[in-house]
Amino acid sequence: MRQVKNTHKLSTIILGIVIFALAVSMLIPFIYMLLLSFTQSKSLIFSMKDISPDLINYTRVFRNTDFFNALKNSLIISISSCFFNCLFSSMAAYALEKKRFPGRKLIFNIYLATLMVPGQVTLIPVFTIMKHLGLLNSYPPLIFIIVNAFGVFLIKQFMAGVPDELLEAAKIDGCGEFRIFFHIVIPLIKPVLVSLTVFTFITSWNDFIWPLVIVTDNSMQTLTLALSVLKGQFTTNYGMVMAGSTMTFLVPFILYVFLQKQFVEGIALSGVKG
Amino acid sequence: MKTKLKKYMPGYLFILPSFLILLVFSVIPIFMTAFFSFTEYNILQAPQMIGLKNYLRMLKDPFVQASLKNTFIYTLVTVPIQTVLALLLAAVIATKFRNKFGNFVKSGMFVPSIASAIMIGTVWNLLLATDGGAINQFLDILNIEPVNWLGQIHTSLISICIVAIWKNTGYFLVIFYAGIMDIPSTLYEAAHVDGADIFQQFYNITLPSLKPITYLVVTLGIIWSFQTFDLVYTMTGGGPGKSTITLVLNIYKSAFKEYNMGYASAQAVLLFLVVMFFTAIQKLCFKEER
Repeated sequence: MRQVKNTHKLSTIILGIVIFALAVSMLIPFIYMLLLSFTQSKSLIFSMKDISPDLINYTRVFRNTDFFNALKNSLIISISSCFFNCLFSSMAAYALEKKRFPGRKLIFNIYLATLMVPGQVTLIPVFTIMKHLGLLNSYPPLIFIIVNAFGVFLIKQFMAGVPDELLEAAKIDGCGEFRIFFHIVIPLIKPVLVSLTVFTFITSWNDFIWPLVIVTDNSMQTLTLALSVLKGQFTTNYGMVMAGSTMTFLVPFILYVFLQKQFVEGIALSGVKG
Repeated sequence: MKTKLKKYMPGYLFILPSFLILLVFSVIPIFMTAFFSFTEYNILQAPQMIGLKNYLRMLKDPFVQASLKNTFIYTLVTVPIQTVLALLLAAVIATKFRNKFGNFVKSGMFVPSIASAIMIGTVWNLLLATDGGAINQFLDILNIEPVNWLGQIHTSLISICIVAIWKNTGYFLVIFYAGIMDIPSTLYEAAHVDGADIFQQFYNITLPSLKPITYLVVTLGIIWSFQTFDLVYTMTGGGPGKSTITLVLNIYKSAFKEYNMGYASAQAVLLFLVVMFFTAIQKLCFKEER
């Protein structure tokens, strides 16, 4: 019996070492990126003594490119997408789940149908529509592209758990429609809103194809776009390219470190329910 | 009449903003894509109807054929590997390491999922570089000649697949892990009492319970394969030759480099049909399993 227990323990230790090694090897590209961003080396073969703890590459990126503007644009777009996606999607989910009105079934089915359409399919018409509206090189298309049926269904499932009696009681007490929504419904669906916010932020921050199509003006670039340009312009200036990469990654990473649980739950939830 | 309208008004008002956005960014564009696909359209002039010409051209286009072939290979390589790897890792962590260590490993493996494909492509371009790239440096220690990973027709697509697997596994691991945590522990306790070992438990309890999630992970993997753009755009631009070209890359090039919006729309319709096919399969299987 003792023997069995010992081999059991040993196998656990070996398994532990294997998955630990796998986890670390998955992080190597990030460590490599960070280290290289602190070197001036013109060759990829670098040794630890090439690394100098100064921010030369980072200041160079800001001085030679529009990175500062891109950082500002990405922040404005991602934060606004989170706000509008949460607000509009929870309003729509509330209407679909808790309100009765003619045409509700039809609207519900339209939402359901759009879930199956990948964004790239609508790339060309959205571009032409925005061109005709004079909205190329502006924030609204990049913010609103993310407000779609996905968030509505995610919240709608959660909304089913909000008791109807509570809403009825508030109504009888003379609460207006919007007060019921903002003071009773919103606080009750907070957990799913956190998940949706995390999901929306990451999707919007990392988005590439929409900015690529909608933005032609350098001052309107987002970070992913600016990184792609930086990479093309300073191909062999490895330190600078890696400094740019590190900067695009910094905000999601900091958020991830602090909101790890919400991240993992948000992603898992969105994956499974979406 | 008036009181009725008043009664329904809040419902309409609540759904209005979201529905308007849905109309402008999804519903109307879908019909426009379908319409454009039967036209010749270069943005400057109004679209001209040309019937099925775009579709006939598509059937013979070597770039479209190459992109379908590449997507097929990409799917066959990435989907099985990332699914099995994610499932095994999730099972190991859930059965053996439900502690801080397991959490750390899970969190570490998830990090590639929060990075943009552009950043990942940029870093991996350097890792895979022929002269002094870290991968070739490592091979050098083993006395293997440096390989021009992204510059050769027969290694470029595989290299991209490896990067995609590296990026996706952590994401699917988290989904599988959540699925395993939802399996009632009484099932395992009963199996334990009956004398089933860990492997029997995995085969007879974990695997069957995860069936719907496995469908989801597989179909999601397939759909992502067909939508691949960012990674290929940064790492190879579709080259060398046509070796890493994808459907979306073709759509982008036809539309925004050659201003052939009609032809690009026909390819978008093809993408739409393929993705819809796999989504429908997933929804059907998912429903059955529930």
